[in-house]
Amino acid sequence: MSGVTLALVLFGALLALIALAMPIGVAMLLVGGFGYIMLSGVGPLLHHLSSAPYAQAATYSLSVIPLFILMGQFATHAGLSAGLFNAANAWLGHRRGGIAMSAIGACAGFGAICGSSMATAATMAHVSLPEMRRFKYSGALASGVLAAGGTLGILIPPSVILVIYALLTEQSIGKLFIAAVVPGMLAAVGYMLAVAVYVRLYPEAGPAGPRAPFASRLRSLLEMGPVIGIFALVIGGIYAGWFTPTEGAAIGAAGTGILAVLHGGLRWGGFVECLKGTAKLTAMIFLILIGADLYNSFLALSQLPMTAARVIGDSGLPPMAVLAIILLFYLVMGCLMDSLSMILLTVPIFHPVIVGLDFGMSAEEVSLWFGILVLIVVEVGLITPPLGMNVFVINSFAPDIPITQAFRGVVPFLAADAVRVVLLVAFPSLTLGVLAWMGSLP
Amino acid sequence: MTTTGKTRQGGALALTAGRLVAAAATALAVAGGLVLTSVMLVTCASVIGRAFFNSPILGDFELVEAGCAIAVFAFLPYCQLKGGHITVDIVSDALGSRKRRVLAMLNEAVFAAVAGLLAWRAMLGGIDLWRYGETSMMLQIPIWWMFLVVVPALALLCVVCLLRLYLVKTGEHL
Repeated sequence: MSGVTLALVLFGALLALIALAMPIGVAMLLVGGFGYIMLSGVGPLLHHLSSAPYAQAATYSLSVIPLFILMGQFATHAGLSAGLFNAANAWLGHRRGGIAMSAIGACAGFGAICGSSMATAATMAHVSLPEMRRFKYSGALASGVLAAGGTLGILIPPSVILVIYALLTEQSIGKLFIAAVVPGMLAAVGYMLAVAVYVRLYPEAGPAGPRAPFASRLRSLLEMGPVIGIFALVIGGIYAGWFTPTEGAAIGAAGTGILAVLHGGLRWGGFVECLKGTAKLTAMIFLILIGADLYNSFLALSQLPMTAARVIGDSGLPPMAVLAIILLFYLVMGCLMDSLSMILLTVPIFHPVIVGLDFGMSAEEVSLWFGILVLIVVEVGLITPPLGMNVFVINSFAPDIPITQAFRGVVPFLAADAVRVVLLVAFPSLTLGVLAWMGSLP
Repeated sequence: MTTTGKTRQGGALALTAGRLVAAAATALAVAGGLVLTSVMLVTCASVIGRAFFNSPILGDFELVEAGCAIAVFAFLPYCQLKGGHITVDIVSDALGSRKRRVLAMLNEAVFAAVAGLLAWRAMLGGIDLWRYGETSMMLQIPIWWMFLVVVPALALLCVVCLLRLYLVKTGEHL
């Protein structure tokens, strides 16, 4: 059996094990280990295992991940969610559907210091769900808007997924973060427009709230100061090269931690909860990273990525068609798999394929652009059935809203996602414009 | 004493042992979190030192790498204890409760075996590092020191999987 055939067969086996509820990281270790034995033998595998997992965890560029997770944990304890929501609500709450739009705005703000979608959805649901219920918003709109808004946690940098993409493709984390800013803002605006269209069609779904006086609107902006400050320092500092991404994450975590102590009333008990939350998320991600490392070592031995790039490059398909097929593949897979595993399993194959095609841009530009597109399409899986984790998170806060209704409420936001992906594919300058303007693309 | 009495006593003993394992995993995770917090503080101090006093902390990269690696391994048993690893449950949710339990036990057994294998290999890897006296570049920290956390953490991960297997089998809770 050739390496390529073996890789394809084992990919099927991997999917089967995952479908049988084996933890994804363990399935990757098992299948990757088996493939490694088939191609190199038992001895080399045992030798590999005696150092590789530690080396993976002790990689400086991966250290950014636990620190960003710690930052996100502090952010959920910093008492910022209420302030962000009230600020957005002061400006938008008097419109029809305004409270839902405010939830989107607050999610966007929270996403700027938190890199996790589920944490963003959960934190914002805590403050804005009761408000939407008070004003008799429909259950579908209330849960749909929060599930979709939660994805802003990962679309707006810092974002763990982008860090992993950067490491897999040897791109600069700073540039990817900057490239993600405009698409992230487009996402927030698109979701707000989706709310506006929805309440125009179904006015009873989102009645208007009271109008806030202008003075309290201005005062509300003060609440956003610390969030904007930390975001600008971390993302700007990483991009400008004042510090490495890991150092940026450490500074962001420390800043958010101070905020949590001073503003959120964080004490020892809450701090331990932050550490436990960090432990759970970090271990979850690193088990997958360690598994994917072995699986991808096997994949490289099998030469599947190079073969795939060559076959598709020679096939004569137009580059845009290849891109469309890949993005559709991610959309379908995203309904069944989590985004991190998907990125780790497929980017080593798809990235060389895409960069090898001629989009009329430099390889670096294509790589950054593709990264942002992939980030968006894999996150769509967080709000689609059957595994839309964000929808389940919101559902746990409002168990009386039936889950089918919650998934129906997500539809307008899926439409907004689709429009945004088409726009970003058609106009790469939406992603790359800021970087070009800053003069950091050759 | 009757047989049922004996099993009940055995069950109670197993549960006590289980609670000890759970407490150890939690304590290890919190300790790992404190190491990560120290990494955060050291890094901030180094950046501030470099920016304002032109004196970064020597070898701060090495401290970050070692600290994060220790934290990651210290976190693994706790995550498994809380069932925090990502699984796809569509098929298993569709199964009857008996088959679902068998599947869960199989998965715990596989994870225990994988964790055991990793612990064994890491132990041998650590012994090699100790024998060759490998140290980090700047601070000359012996690399094998890290394995004093890595190996027990992986072994505890294996035990946590076995504990979960036992709990699924008996239907008991801690």
